[in-house]
Amino acid sequence: MSARTLGHRTRKELLVAHPWVWSFIAIALEWAALTALVHRGMLGTFQAALTLAPYLVIVSIGQMFVITLGNGNVDLSIPYVMPMAAYIAAGVSGANGQHLWLGIIAGVLSGMAAGLVSAFGILVLSIPPIVCTLAVGLFAQTVAYVRAANFTGNVPNSLVTATLDKFLGIPLFTFACIAFSVLAGILLHRSPYGRAVQAIGQNIRAANLAGIRVPRIILLTYLLSGALAAVSGVMLAAFSGLSLDIGSTFLLTSIAAVVIGGSVVAGGRSNVPGVWGGALFLGLTVTLLEAAQASIAVQDIGEGVLIIAVLTVAGRATSVAKE
Amino acid sequence: MFIWVASLQPDVANYEGITLLFSGAVPLAATAMAEMFVISIGDIDVGIGYFVGLTNAVVAQYMPNHPLGAWGLLVVLVGAYVGMGALIQLGRVPSIVATLGASFIWMGAGLVILPIPGGSAPGWLTRLFNSRPPFVPFPIVAIIVLVVVCGWLTSRYKYGVAIRAMGANAQAVGRNGWSLLRLRMTCFGLAGIFGVIAGFAVTAVADSGAPTSSADYTLLAVAAVILGGAEFSGGFAFPLGAAAGALAISQATSLLTFLNISSNYQGAVVGLILMVVLLGRVLTRSRNR
Repeated sequence: MSARTLGHRTRKELLVAHPWVWSFIAIALEWAALTALVHRGMLGTFQAALTLAPYLVIVSIGQMFVITLGNGNVDLSIPYVMPMAAYIAAGVSGANGQHLWLGIIAGVLSGMAAGLVSAFGILVLSIPPIVCTLAVGLFAQTVAYVRAANFTGNVPNSLVTATLDKFLGIPLFTFACIAFSVLAGILLHRSPYGRAVQAIGQNIRAANLAGIRVPRIILLTYLLSGALAAVSGVMLAAFSGLSLDIGSTFLLTSIAAVVIGGSVVAGGRSNVPGVWGGALFLGLTVTLLEAAQASIAVQDIGEGVLIIAVLTVAGRATSVAKE
Repeated sequence: MFIWVASLQPDVANYEGITLLFSGAVPLAATAMAEMFVISIGDIDVGIGYFVGLTNAVVAQYMPNHPLGAWGLLVVLVGAYVGMGALIQLGRVPSIVATLGASFIWMGAGLVILPIPGGSAPGWLTRLFNSRPPFVPFPIVAIIVLVVVCGWLTSRYKYGVAIRAMGANAQAVGRNGWSLLRLRMTCFGLAGIFGVIAGFAVTAVADSGAPTSSADYTLLAVAAVILGGAEFSGGFAFPLGAAAGALAISQATSLLTFLNISSNYQGAVVGLILMVVLLGRVLTRSRNR
């Protein structure tokens, strides 16, 4: 890190201190391009983006905490935990949604159970996180398949309508997510837990010597990630319908959103605004390509090219500024 | 694993049975080899499944009627893998992110070529896969060839040895005068070549192209390589182990079928095998220490 001159910080230093600025610049560019392309107007585009982004943001905040741990930590179980939690929640809630809260709690608990198994494998059995969360994901996938096999119900209607309530054309769920993000930011930067997560990502041995109870922090982080994936899975099932592949795109996009947002993929340094930046960027990219009337296949290609391009530019900018 | 399967279903323990049982393992074994090169330098490729799907689409759609164009496209694709290696080295983009982004591109390109599953395997490929070598069924021969070639690449070929060394200690290799850029490009190029071979194998087994049906190979190939004894930190490459891992995983599926267990449980079984093998390795290692 460059030494900070007293009093005034250069523009470059500002970008290093707040790497998420990049993602918001990219969003502004995309938004401008969209406004030029579509006649829906700036507001409509923005409302659409804010309707879809929260599901990704919730998952990505969990992923962000895991990635911040560094040392190869990443949660690959997310795409399977999401449908598992959704099916469990729908099943426990009952056909008329008489046990809705019980269902949601059961779904979230199932996500936390996945996190618990991941942490157990990583901490006790010393299995590398990539393999361990992958194996846990395969277990979760099996649970989802088995639950779905003889299940014809759906998410209770009361939850479905809850995802549709709007204020100023923006769903209330989005506002709830913004409030939650603020909490997550405080948790990451101000709480002892969040600082311990960052310390582990920067240097796990030093964190250990400094008296941080490393295993406990790692366990808590995987529990958090599992719970958030579950919440997002349940809400997404309510919003877009219950299916086994509701989580399938979230593995790629959750990691991409975190990294586009300027969090260091090797861990130790993360930020919450960047997760919103990354999620909105990915969402607007899809909208942009749809507006250009690209087929789904071409949309995928465009998304891939843009992710790589943004990461290369942002990665180089931060590493150059670091030297 | 094979003996277990054979004991449940004695019919498989003959020439025909082995051919049928193992032909499904060939694409996974080739994918595992591709993944093995990438993991041996400490990187990971999370897009190889979609890449195999893309090459599968190219082969099935263009190879029977436009062989020259198809070969040209495949060369371009391997070139794209080499370029991805260069990007990771020069742009300091973590491999998990670069390959993740690339996987979108492979998937999209595969769907552009073949929006709905279709196409067919070129005649020579079908003839090759249906050939009946004496005594040893073709899939076994194919896997042995893969292992021998990869074994030569990783332990005899100059670049292969340097790639493995790079996984163990990149700095030392760099100081010895090797270009890390060229090594990483070679490594991803090899991964691309074996990805293409896997694409051929998928086409031959399925006799058609379906760009998204190979998506699972990413995770299964990583699992196979790790089962085969490699370490995520890099520096290790065991072609025989990776092939054995691929066989074990594809056998697990057959086993479920013969045991009359729903294929819904396949994921859990693969996960369980992974956990048990890794647990065993952790236990033996701590005893040796």
